[in-house]
Amino acid sequence: MSELETTQRPSWWKRSDAKKAIFLWVIFTAIIGYTASIIQSRAMGSPASENMSNTINMVKIFTWAAAPVAGLVAALTITTLLGQRHFGDNPPPEAEHEIRNSPRVAATWVVVSTLLCLFAVIYGMVLVQADENKLRTANPINIDVTGQQWVWNFKYVDNGGAQSADLYLPVNKPVLFHVTSTDVMHSFWIVQMGIKVDANPGYVTETGTTPNKIGVYDLRCAELCGLYHAYMQKKVHVVSQADYDAWVQNQGGNA
Amino acid sequence: MTTVTNRPASAGPSAPKKALIERLSIITGLLLGIVGAVLAWYLARTFLPVNTDGSYIKTRMDQEVFIAMIGWFVGFMTGIGALIGPFRWLLGKDLTHDETLFYAGKDQGVKRYFRYTTDHKVVGIQYLVITMVIFFVGGVLAMLIRTNLGHAGGNWLQPQTYNTVVGLHGITMVVGAIIMITGPFGNFIMPIMIGARDMAFPRLNALSFWLVVAAVPPLLSSIWLGGIPTGWSAYNPLENQAPPGMDGFIMAICIFAISTMVAGANITATAVKMRAKGMTWNRTPIFIYGVVASVALALPVFPVFFLSQVLSGLDRATGSTFFDVRGGGSPWLYENLFWIMGHPEVYVILIPALAALMEMAPVFTRRPLFSFNLAIMGIAGISGLSVLVWAHHLYVSGWAPLLNGPFMLTTELISIPTGMLFLVLIGTLWRGRVWITLPTAAIYAVLFNFTIGGITGIYLSDVSADAALHGSIFVTAHFHYTLMGAGLTSAIGALVYWFPKMTGRMFDKKLGWTAFWITQVGFNIAFMGMFMVGLAGQPRRVGAISAFYDKGNSITTMGAYIIMTGMLVLLHGVVVSWVWGTKATQNPWFAKSLEWSVAYPVPLENFDVLPVVTEDAYGYGKAQS
Ligand code: HEM
Ligand SMILES: [Cu+2]
Ligand SMILES: [Cu+2]
Repeated sequence: MSELETTQRPSWWKRSDAKKAIFLWVIFTAIIGYTASIIQSRAMGSPASENMSNTINMVKIFTWAAAPVAGLVAALTITTLLGQRHFGDNPPPEAEHEIRNSPRVAATWVVVSTLLCLFAVIYGMVLVQADENKLRTANPINIDVTGQQWVWNFKYVDNGGAQSADLYLPVNKPVLFHVTSTDVMHSFWIVQMGIKVDANPGYVTETGTTPNKIGVYDLRCAELCGLYHAYMQKKVHVVSQADYDAWVQNQGGNA
Repeated sequence: MTTVTNRPASAGPSAPKKALIERLSIITGLLLGIVGAVLAWYLARTFLPVNTDGSYIKTRMDQEVFIAMIGWFVGFMTGIGALIGPFRWLLGKDLTHDETLFYAGKDQGVKRYFRYTTDHKVVGIQYLVITMVIFFVGGVLAMLIRTNLGHAGGNWLQPQTYNTVVGLHGITMVVGAIIMITGPFGNFIMPIMIGARDMAFPRLNALSFWLVVAAVPPLLSSIWLGGIPTGWSAYNPLENQAPPGMDGFIMAICIFAISTMVAGANITATAVKMRAKGMTWNRTPIFIYGVVASVALALPVFPVFFLSQVLSGLDRATGSTFFDVRGGGSPWLYENLFWIMGHPEVYVILIPALAALMEMAPVFTRRPLFSFNLAIMGIAGISGLSVLVWAHHLYVSGWAPLLNGPFMLTTELISIPTGMLFLVLIGTLWRGRVWITLPTAAIYAVLFNFTIGGITGIYLSDVSADAALHGSIFVTAHFHYTLMGAGLTSAIGALVYWFPKMTGRMFDKKLGWTAFWITQVGFNIAFMGMFMVGLAGQPRRVGAISAFYDKGNSITTMGAYIIMTGMLVLLHGVVVSWVWGTKATQNPWFAKSLEWSVAYPVPLENFDVLPVVTEDAYGYGKAQS
């Protein structure tokens, strides 16, 4: 901005619409961030694995990073509505200016959105990498998962090949699932543990987690697989190691 | 078709004997189409070899269905008159001047809307009507879905019916959304806006529209052929397992893909070659950029859609195994092909919608578009990146976990050019004098809805969050915020904006505002509820939900009924305004782009004297003294 202009016009932050917008921005950011993160953590429930707690945290952090963006859009648009509104069948008088561009605003906008974007990418990469590493280094129990229209079958390969239709897992023990299908595609999803991988005929895919809370959780098919897809749901029982051993022996396996 | 008359056509009702081209219309199209289908089916039944190989039981049935549908397609296109031009050209007797005028719909009143008419304004209106019909059908299906999910347990619809309803809803809405801007406004408005007399290839224009019509019966036939249990994404091997209804789906997609390619080539050529004298790229309205980006993006990706369905069809009908692991194929191949089309396709829908808003914003704030260059860069950036992100739909497929990182990067990068378009819109509103009209309201509503749709997209693009959210109804809520909250809302704004030019009447304000508020409120109720149950783990595409999700689903269903009310008011508004609305002046919004420089009804060739352009269309606002 030239010397001349700065003396003629007050700095942008002193103008009344800018003040209004900044005020609204702060308010909206707080409201959006607060309500959205509360609702999200309520809806996502209490996690049963570190994957899920990481995901819930991540969603909350993303929400707080996104709240200023949403807040800014809301603040700016609402400020424009608080300004010179015009009703009727004839157009309002022309705007007081014919500004076609503002390199400063455009540059700031692009730089800030790039930074936010990079933050999301890097944070995401770090999380994925951490999950991967844990899966590799742990000494997990292996379970073969087979989807079939419209049931699941679990084979506890490390426990003498015991089988079951509901999933049983010992608490605090890493587990690696080897997932496949005999017919169409299904998707193996343990809701409260935040893990999911497709079951493809002819391929074996893998996912893993460490359940960290005793309880009963939901296992759902997450890929449309035909007639009774809606009913392809099972329970996941996370039990103590002793209970697990007893259960496995009961199933004809060995602990 | 060998009886093409070579009598010099003296068009007009007084001619003693009607020339062939004057007799063809949608009626002959339907008749020949049905005859063609029955004939082809009969021939297939009689002459196809009996299937002795017991392993593919359905193969022969699928062959018959495909052949019958090809019979329909050829018959319909012949009957509507699509072949006359090429045929005459082949015989070296190209259409005479009179015949060309007849084709353009000269002096035919309403009848021209039911014929193979080449005038871009007729095609625009045809597209507008068929878009509304498609949305109506899709809307009825949506209400069936929501009624079924109104309370836990569901099963008001049988599971097979439910799956088919979801799939048909998905594909009809997607098709409707793809054509909702570039069809009506790209055809009717764009040529006038750039100062042209018609499209570059008027006959291709008629062809692209009638191809859409030809695709409808195969799609609807699937209802009586066992349904489509796969959703609109038609994943294999489920697609291979499906009843013959799937063949109708495949056929419809193939025809629609051809239509999109034809329209894409035509619109691109028009915008590149037919702009008025003096309309340099810097003076070309932003809406033109949006339309061109949309169809130019469709040009490379719809052939992939076409191909994926052809391969699926071959698997079904001939027992080939492109997507069947037992024969060396891969279902992952299908997923890749589908989403190589599927992700760019969402921008095929969104870009022209946002471009329409950017076109309207300066008019209703009486100031120039804020940063034209940023708008172009945003459109270009989105288009370019959108072909590099498809595998974010495959994060949890197990196909190539190593690629998850790179695809997360490209996906999140799209937020940068998208942000540019936000800045252009907000910058244009900022310190303008906002003229409160329905199109203005659409701009605000889209900024609101698309912020939510875009931010939820960032959650989904994160690999570990997607492991929790993929396949849940959170995804459904997300893409409704983008497709419906942003896309469809823009299209409605554009309809009100260009309504006076297309129909000569103003859109009824009272009905318009009533519909606007009801749909927007209903929309946000419905899909906010869906976000919550999605976060809580409700899968998508399920017809029966557990009691745990009862509350959220009742809210969503209530919202859906509110949307339905609003949409019915809107439809009522369209009819009432079109028939009885107040007559519009030539330029009711006092806009500066060329389409407002011609009066209603726009004459056959738009301009008596072609305009010469000396500045862009955004010269609003008072110079600062
Ligand atoms: C009254 C308005 C609408 C309602 C209540 C509605 C509701 C629904 C519901 C409940 C589903 C099924 C979700 C699932 O179980 O996976 C769905 C799917 C879908 N909808 Fe809508 N919808 C509406 C409008 C639209 C519009 C305007 C579009 C596009 C512009 C659209 C595009 C889609 C798509 C692409 C799917 C996915 C279909 C599939 O999974 O195969 N919807 N919708
Ligand atoms: Cu399933
Ligand atoms: Cu995508």
